[in-house]
Amino acid sequence: MIIDDSRAMRSILRRIVAGLHFETLEAGNGQEALDLFEAGEVPDLCLVDWNMPVMDGYTFITQVRANRDWRCVIKMTATTESEQGQIVKALAAGAHEYVIKPFTPDAIVEKLELLGLVPQEDVA
Amino acid sequence: MTLAPEVTDVQAIVEQVWSSFLGEEEPLLPRLAEPGQFAADEAWSAAVSISGGWDATVTVELSAPVALSLTRTMLGLDDIDDAEDGDVADAVGELVNMVGGNVKSLMPGPSVLSLPAVAAGRAAHPSGAAEIARFDGIWAGEPVRVAVHAIPQP
Repeated sequence: MIIDDSRAMRSILRRIVAGLHFETLEAGNGQEALDLFEAGEVPDLCLVDWNMPVMDGYTFITQVRANRDWRCVIKMTATTESEQGQIVKALAAGAHEYVIKPFTPDAIVEKLELLGLVPQEDVA
Repeated sequence: MTLAPEVTDVQAIVEQVWSSFLGEEEPLLPRLAEPGQFAADEAWSAAVSISGGWDATVTVELSAPVALSLTRTMLGLDDIDDAEDGDVADAVGELVNMVGGNVKSLMPGPSVLSLPAVAAGRAAHPSGAAEIARFDGIWAGEPVRVAVHAIPQP
């Protein structure tokens, strides 16, 4: 699930993960994503922006972590927040990985490989 | 003395954002000659504010052709004519978000980055704001400007 208030950023991320044969869902903020979760659309992976209207990435990650049924969901933040304190905050809240914008497609693929989410046939 | 990011740091951030999302085939080059003015009715602009340990606004101004190319590339549109104003606002807003977030990381914190505000036209600044860094670039023959303004404290 790609969670970002920017359609442009969702489009970029969608094209990157589509190349790895991921099926994607999209949400424009944390609340929209939680609504999808509640409706039964619980993904394997969330790519989460940090700074969003309505519900930000930190609140979203915290809420997902608080629900026992959703703890298996892997959460990676894709954000401009490169301050060390923000990265620590994201990881402490329950994010498994982070990537700083701007990123290259290779950077995303590399992170997903680290998380064991890239099928072997897609690993270069 | 006003704390300001180095112009070279701002340039490096803009170039990194540019090459990440627009590729390196048509590089963004520094504009060495004195930049001309943007035509107000042929420009897009966006701003984010940084507040907390350091207070400033970061603005991006693009000519309309640059904004449209950026939108087409970021949204993966086949045709530039498919881009609507809302698409352009989204892409330009994400651009300033990335530049502003990275400028913020260079400066004393902790600070908070606002959501982007986007306009068709030139950027507006708070009264009393003073420009403290600016990068003028040129991409595909069109102007690009990124500026940082210090926000006066009450």
